Amino acid sequence: MSLEGKLALVTGGGRGIGKAIGLKLASQGADVIVNFFRHRDAALETAKEIEALGVKAEIIRANVGDAAKIDEMFDTIGSKFGRLDIFINNAASGVGRPALELDSKAWEWTMNINARALLLCAQRAARLMEGRGGKVVSISSLGSSFVLPNYTVVGVSKAALEALTRYLAIELAAQNICVNTVAASAVETEALKFYFKEGLAKDSHYVTPVGRMVTPEDVANVVAFLCSEEAFMIRGQIIVVDGGTSVGLFATAGKGGE
Amino acid sequence: MTIEEQIRDIVARISRVDKSIITRESTFKDIKADSLDVVQALVAVEELFEIEIPDEVAQKFQNFGDFVSYVESKVAKAEKV
Repeated sequence: MSLEGKLALVTGGGRGIGKAIGLKLASQGADVIVNFFRHRDAALETAKEIEALGVKAEIIRANVGDAAKIDEMFDTIGSKFGRLDIFINNAASGVGRPALELDSKAWEWTMNINARALLLCAQRAARLMEGRGGKVVSISSLGSSFVLPNYTVVGVSKAALEALTRYLAIELAAQNICVNTVAASAVETEALKFYFKEGLAKDSHYVTPVGRMVTPEDVANVVAFLCSEEAFMIRGQIIVVDGGTSVGLFATAGKGGE
Repeated sequence: MTIEEQIRDIVARISRVDKSIITRESTFKDIKADSLDVVQALVAVEELFEIEIPDEVAQKFQNFGDFVSYVESKVAKAEKV
């Protein structure tokens, strides 16, 4: 699989899963634009690591929860490169609360970053992919289909993102833009450490039937495949990367905390 | 308007409290700011002053005064450069 000559934008690309995706795409020859919001140093470090793989890297700041900032980001990419081949909708945020404690502010914050951003970014990305085709891949989680503790609004936002994946896949199919999503179980990242700290999760619950947790690289491998021409006929799908966790729920019930 | 006044305005707006209740000794809990309020305040302050406030630093703020002092020192450093 080669992505030589392709230009990719990875939102939330400075850390965690986004970083692993950027590095994976770069290792296959793609130039990578690393979007970040609050962690410039991490984005700069990631860009440095990407460039060490022999491709070009740029960083660009934007809060994808803010429609105006999304426009600014794509205006900048449009005027600088005039094209985009791969758009990775990875940036995510969320408020960890039970449903009855959620207010509209927490709802809007999470939905805007996790779900609306795909819509607004895909609209702009599709314009930059016009006449050349492209790939749009989002990152979701098992929380879209299964109930996780205090994950309410994040789970709902991921369910919206997955539904939007299907609609975009059909609408953009004729333009040769492949739209898919990768849904992972808990991935070993800084964000997960936050969930542990907040008491929302215990790490032992997230060891998969394989015997280890999902890593950012596990997710990046599948994203890279979906960005390849080999995956051309996969459209509007949610590919689950969870070491079998979701299909083994009944087989492993009650064993998670042991 | 001083840096402190600008930050007080931001925190009051986001937490929906009267700015007069925010003193340098106020904790985020005192002004009923939840974790999202804190993140939004950090983002607004970062954008206004064009600085970055790492999460590890922000988590150590004991009160509003710590927040203001950190921003003042970052802004002063940025002006020197």
